[in-house]
Amino acid sequence: MHHRDKNGPRSMALIVILGLVAAFMAAAPTLQAEVANEVCAGCHDEVSEMFMNTSHGIYFSDNAALADASCEKCHGSGVEHANEGDPALVINPSNSDQFGAAEMCLTCHDDHKFDDWQMSSHKGADITCADCHKVHVDASKSSMKSSPQMCYTCHTDVRAAAYMPSHHPIAEGKMKCEDCHNVHGGSTAMTLDDSGRELCLSCHGEKEGPFVYEHAPVSEECLVCHTPHGSVANSMLKQSEPTLCLSCHPMHFHSISYAVDGPFTIRDRSGVSTLDGFKVGMNTKCTQCHSEIHGSDSPSQTMSTGGNTLTR
Amino acid sequence: MKRNAIFAVAIGFALLLTLASSAIAGEDNETVNKYSLWIGGHYTDFSDYTKKVGEYDLGNSEGLPEFAGKLFSRSSNSIFKLYGHYYDDQNIYGVANATVSDKFKAAFMYRSLVHRSGQDMLANLNAREFYPNAPPPGLGGKTLTHEILDPGADYDVHRQEILSKMEVLLSERNNVRMMAAHRSILKDGTTQKMSNDHCYGCHTTSRTGKVETRQHQLETGIDADVKDFNVGYRFGYRHFQSNGPDAYGYWSEAKHPGSNDPKWAPEFGSRVLFDDTTLAFGVLPETEKMSHKVRLKGDVGKGNLAGSFVYSRAENKSTTLTTDAYAGAARYAVPLSPKMRLLAKMSMRRVTADDPFIDLPTFRAGAADGNEKDFDYIRYSTLDRSEFKASAELITRVNPRWTLALLGGYEMTNRDDYVAYDDGTKTKKMIGQAKLRFRKGLRYSSYLKYRFESISDPFVSARGLFESSGYGVLVPAVSGSSWIFYWQREALRYQDITSMPTQVHNFEWRSTWQPSKTYSLNLGVKGKLDKNGDLDSLDVEHTSLVPHAYLNLMPNMKWTVTTGYTYNYDKSRIPIAIALFDG
Repeated sequence: MHHRDKNGPRSMALIVILGLVAAFMAAAPTLQAEVANEVCAGCHDEVSEMFMNTSHGIYFSDNAALADASCEKCHGSGVEHANEGDPALVINPSNSDQFGAAEMCLTCHDDHKFDDWQMSSHKGADITCADCHKVHVDASKSSMKSSPQMCYTCHTDVRAAAYMPSHHPIAEGKMKCEDCHNVHGGSTAMTLDDSGRELCLSCHGEKEGPFVYEHAPVSEECLVCHTPHGSVANSMLKQSEPTLCLSCHPMHFHSISYAVDGPFTIRDRSGVSTLDGFKVGMNTKCTQCHSEIHGSDSPSQTMSTGGNTLTR
Repeated sequence: MKRNAIFAVAIGFALLLTLASSAIAGEDNETVNKYSLWIGGHYTDFSDYTKKVGEYDLGNSEGLPEFAGKLFSRSSNSIFKLYGHYYDDQNIYGVANATVSDKFKAAFMYRSLVHRSGQDMLANLNAREFYPNAPPPGLGGKTLTHEILDPGADYDVHRQEILSKMEVLLSERNNVRMMAAHRSILKDGTTQKMSNDHCYGCHTTSRTGKVETRQHQLETGIDADVKDFNVGYRFGYRHFQSNGPDAYGYWSEAKHPGSNDPKWAPEFGSRVLFDDTTLAFGVLPETEKMSHKVRLKGDVGKGNLAGSFVYSRAENKSTTLTTDAYAGAARYAVPLSPKMRLLAKMSMRRVTADDPFIDLPTFRAGAADGNEKDFDYIRYSTLDRSEFKASAELITRVNPRWTLALLGGYEMTNRDDYVAYDDGTKTKKMIGQAKLRFRKGLRYSSYLKYRFESISDPFVSARGLFESSGYGVLVPAVSGSSWIFYWQREALRYQDITSMPTQVHNFEWRSTWQPSKTYSLNLGVKGKLDKNGDLDSLDVEHTSLVPHAYLNLMPNMKWTVTTGYTYNYDKSRIPIAIALFDG
């Protein structure tokens, strides 16, 4: 099972960085610098000064075998770059694709939470580690670019949905994208697999069941009815009630008779379905009566449905 | 302040005092301590809101101080981080992380929020049922009435989440690591509980239900390197329980909905499972789920293989119903050349659930005209299913600027007891996808994606639509009777209905242009069109279009200003079933 910290970008970044530290300790190769760090610092003084306080820098300084190779460990040989000054002559993880930078990072970050990175949608979209992580940052600060804003730069449709009237509390800062999504691929922490239903149930355990009386789409997938990033309809439903329900079920067969006109003043009661009745019926939400829509162990009242109308 | 208008805005979020103290203890070169404290406040006025303004931002009309603090400490081989933010008593966030070399890692997190659903379940409750031609004041009938047992009540739930996890290196020799994690989700508060009496009268009642649910999760396991593979085992446990008191509702005596004639009481009493009684409703069962998972990762040939197998059992402790699930997955990524790689995925899942016997009272038991009917049945579970997914993706770097990825996939869901189209049980999906990426250094990049899914027999409401003329189909319906009974109407429906698509077109285009280090422009659009033309009734069609434009300003290393606009257009066309039968 994959692990991922659910504590927000700071802690997630910390875990990632510490994974690096662990990986380095395990690997700990002896490197011979072709260009000393001092040479790099001659031009990149701002980065160099900052680097010693980064998680990488801290670990390198405590590991004699790596102390002289810190820049080239990630940027490759700096000989040509130092001689020519051309940025293209040194590896820049920010300017790489799935065939480059990520592979280099994973030589040290081989923690099993990256098991699925090779298969992940992010890697397939040429997202590299440096697209989300800040490497040259003080260890006391987050090495993650801020979530969810960072995620929104690509997932713009999610950003739009997250600000709709009904949504998970992402905009309010109560949830992070990483709470549901393993950005490194695979399943999230505390979930068995990456199927949508299992993911939802990891927080909404009251809907796990199994129930005596089921609602088939609940067994199928939560996304049959819900759109999890946000919607105009209540409860993050794809459409408002009763439209959503009526896309699978016939309208309640009495509900489109003439409407009640005022308090209990009955109009013509011919028993004919009317446009007035239709309008009134379309204002009603099915879950006002079918309140246990995710399943129940208690039989409903009517015999004709075998007690399975999820009203109790 | 305009009356009856949304007025929920933080009119004061003034910074009262900011203490940002950063002290670096110079005891030696290996110890660093940093801390900061922020003190502020907020004032919120909700005195005149009448509409939904947000499910999580709602608060009291009051001002409160607000605190945040941060602590960072490290020595030569350990790091400790602590962050906390206090907004009010019900909105608190705290996180702590500790690491000692790579031998020990621990994390703790607490967060809380208040959730109001922001909807009144009694709003627009207008539907009524047929009222027979009986003279007023016979007000019973089948007009839907409602009753609010606690008018003016507000409903909100305080959600608290506590997470802790740790990992210990037991042996460096085989990289043996043990982990343990625990998470609790605690919900306390009130919610709107709805019950529905539906026989003589159609009466919906609303009352306050107390929420007190507890969900606890535990996960523990061990990982180790075994030859060329890293293998691991995880045990998972999840328990859910509601400790809140049950809500009770009254179901009235069964009678003829129009005439109230006592001679029909046995007939209508036979049509319901219970009447003239008070029962609990909306009861959340105690559930438990246990899982075992083994995973493996390693290099095979030139590629990387990752796989897992999971067994889980969920049990409803209140009914002893269980669900068993077996799932296996394997992923293999292999470079075919320095500029080309292949990704292959496969997963299978088998779910089986108990099928309880539903024992119902005999319909029209002892009726003078006979026609007794036994409605007992076995409720076969819709969870029962087998699933299979496979895909392969070939990614190639055409040249240093262009990358092309082509994917083909197949997915199948075979439901044991739930039909799809045409009384089938299998839903099959074919997937094709192409992605093209262009990069010109950091200055310009562009991404284009198209994905197509062809789905046969998607999930449907089987025979959920339309009804045949009962007299024609069911004659003789019930011996000696010309009526169409309620239970017979299920047999009259003849057409499947769904809003699920049979074709999905998905596309995305995104470009970033960064002419200098100080600003960049991002433009793009996402679109989705899915449709289902296989229904005998109207076609299903969903359209989504989301263009965006972002401008990022980075005047220096410390500042980034992002401004953007996203437009979301969604349109759905779905058939809905309008019953023409009435009473």
